[in-house]
Amino acid sequence: MFFPNLRIVAKGICKSFAAPVLRDVDLEIPPGCIHGLVGENGAGKTTLAKIIVGLESADVGSLFLDGQPYRPTNTAESLGAGVAICAQELSLVDDLSIAENILLHTSTSSLAWIRHKSANERALRVLDVVGLESASPGFRVGKLSLAEKQLVEIAKTLATDAKLLVLDEPTSALTAPQAERLHGILREKANHGVTVIYISHRLGDVLSVCDRVSVLRDGKVRLTEDCGALSEKALIREMAGADADFDALRRASESAAPLHLTVEGLRTSKLPHPISFSCRRGEILGIAGLAGSGRTELLNAVFGLDKRLAGSVKIHKEGGTTEVRNPRQAIKSGIGLVAEDRSRDGVFRNQTLAFNVTVAELGRVSDRTGRLIRSKEASAVGKLIDALRVQSNGVHQKMRELSGGNQQKSMLARWIHCGSKLLLLDEPTRGVDVAAKLTIHEELVRLRDAGITIIAVSSELEELQSLCDRILVLSNRRLVAEFHRSDWSQQRILAAAFSEYAREGTSVTVT
Amino acid sequence: MTLERRQFVTESGSRVFRVLEENLIFVSLLAIVAFFGLISDSFLSLTTLSTLFNQLPALTVVSIGMTLVLISGGIDLSVGSVVALSAGVIGAGMSLFGLPLPLAACFGILAGTLAGLANGGLGAYLRLPIFIVTLGMLEVARGLAYLVTDSQTVYIGAKIQAFAIPWGGSGVSASILVALTLVVTFEFLLRSTIFGRQIVAVGSNESAAEVSGIDPRRVRCTVLVISGLLAGLGGLMNAAYLGSADPNAGLGLELSAIAAAVIGGTSLMGGRGSVIGAFVGVLIVSVLQIGLAQIGITEPTKRVITGAVIILAVILDRWRAP
Repeated sequence: MFFPNLRIVAKGICKSFAAPVLRDVDLEIPPGCIHGLVGENGAGKTTLAKIIVGLESADVGSLFLDGQPYRPTNTAESLGAGVAICAQELSLVDDLSIAENILLHTSTSSLAWIRHKSANERALRVLDVVGLESASPGFRVGKLSLAEKQLVEIAKTLATDAKLLVLDEPTSALTAPQAERLHGILREKANHGVTVIYISHRLGDVLSVCDRVSVLRDGKVRLTEDCGALSEKALIREMAGADADFDALRRASESAAPLHLTVEGLRTSKLPHPISFSCRRGEILGIAGLAGSGRTELLNAVFGLDKRLAGSVKIHKEGGTTEVRNPRQAIKSGIGLVAEDRSRDGVFRNQTLAFNVTVAELGRVSDRTGRLIRSKEASAVGKLIDALRVQSNGVHQKMRELSGGNQQKSMLARWIHCGSKLLLLDEPTRGVDVAAKLTIHEELVRLRDAGITIIAVSSELEELQSLCDRILVLSNRRLVAEFHRSDWSQQRILAAAFSEYAREGTSVTVT
Repeated sequence: MTLERRQFVTESGSRVFRVLEENLIFVSLLAIVAFFGLISDSFLSLTTLSTLFNQLPALTVVSIGMTLVLISGGIDLSVGSVVALSAGVIGAGMSLFGLPLPLAACFGILAGTLAGLANGGLGAYLRLPIFIVTLGMLEVARGLAYLVTDSQTVYIGAKIQAFAIPWGGSGVSASILVALTLVVTFEFLLRSTIFGRQIVAVGSNESAAEVSGIDPRRVRCTVLVISGLLAGLGGLMNAAYLGSADPNAGLGLELSAIAAAVIGGTSLMGGRGSVIGAFVGVLIVSVLQIGLAQIGITEPTKRVITGAVIILAVILDRWRAP
């Protein structure tokens, strides 16, 4: 197989982690073409990009670069072949200067002396191009703002003189003029024969800068077409797919239930726009939005983890209302948080299952003097792990030996042990297998039936649609929409999720 | 890898091996004692025991504090100097101002506690790197120790020595009893109280501890205060043993305490450790010192051997619990 006229060809690419992420993906992009990749969270865009630059390897399938078989195993190899990535997660070294960061990739040999003068000159040239001319190349990257870092990352990619550029969400932190400028540069590069793969949530940007666009859904390419023939509406329809019927796991919510939580004008450094919403007792409230739209930040703000700049979070009880300002107050007023990054913010992996379950409320397993009563702890934890069907060799098994699903269930057990009445769940089924996912869903419904209120963030709309009574949608760190069971559809939710990423002047409306 | 090894152990049915493995440090201590007992005629004697008991108390109480700090994910490099500062305060108080021993002792321990509070405040609440803060305190406290003693060894005399002199021929002194009581108390605190759990939680995963409603700053600060207080007590024990306040006391003691904690199974990464283990670590280090001296090993060689034992302990520990 030869594709002499095509810059990059992907044939039948498949990749699975726990579940299939890419299924039989084909892609053909000629030189000088800017090709957009769009899709909702988890559609497989980033994985595909990583395979192209050798950060991941495909399970099945092959790549051809300028007609030659191409199978990079790391970024050094792909760079050598003329392929560079501007990754979504910035790969800058905070302690090095801008110039050093830009040239990390490009030095010809690791033994080569870094010539500061010529390094600075080269850095100045590319910084000028991306519009960071005011920054001194000797400036430490750690002191730059997020947007400036992103520009440095882009400059670093451009400085490689690659013939295939892969840009994964390059504009997520940029302002509209900065993004415009980048698009101008990309067009210029394309005119000189460079091929660009452009991944973005901002559909308007994709349509204006790209020549062609492919839509990924569930790891498959659903559509590849010239941008001229497409609208944002059409893209969203392809990303969402046909609206399936979701059998509701539950009755309609009782709107007569008393208020449990009210959030008013809440603002933190990570959520600059005030957010207000409320939640009733026994409700399952979903929070949808694209990655980086502020979902995790919202849960953290409610729980009091991030410093609050304005607004209030109130818990209503029969005896009155209490204000929540920090995690300790949150836990006292009956809130529990199961964090998205379980290994970082949830699990004590080297400690026992019992330790992990009781850590947030040790008072229940100790006497008045603060002495732990081990028998009490063992029996309390034993009951909980039976009820939640946590598979383990007993309460003294080390947490690190449990599977992801069982770890996640023990996080639920922690808050049930605490007697929490309001659970904030951030991606409760991420990284767990299908069977554990189902038991977690069942457990959430059981908890709800027992009168516990749940606020759940999920990247999977199907999950939210089958579990929730109501869904709030965040877009670009703003609360943009609220849907009830009767009036939601996957398309409408997605349209709302994309709405704040649309370019100024264009608005997305999907009916 | 652990799993495979464990299976191998079970399959081979070697219960004895498993028991030995689980109590590795006790076994090592016994082996060291047996080794010196066989080689040296004078090792298994009351003289050795009383030398041991003289050295033991200060290092033991300092190691208790160090163990708690290490489990919480911190480190306290200032303890050796704080021992000297506390001894200096006690010496100056008794000799220059004629204070009674209990009052002077309180001042000494208070000085240690304040040093710990400074470490905790700067390290935990202002979030400065604790390694650097306590390194700075190592210099500050040593300097203060010189200042309060006017850079001289201050003679105190019999009043304070009563604390360290063994009763009868038993070798057991008030110092030793206090140290042992503290070992048991702090082991209990660590294993069986809410506060102990919180120390382990913070050292094991600070971020998860915060989400679980624990205030990591308070925990980190508290263990540093405890460490300072115990170092202050160590100063009293040191002065009692010498009968005087030496501003050079406790030089390098922080390293012996870290070594004892690590030999006793405490992780430098935090989240794991035991006070009893640290005490056995203290015994191993001390017995090794005394035994090597008795069989005529020179000081430089002693240091090489002691250092090698510490490294060996870490290797064994890594092998047991990766």
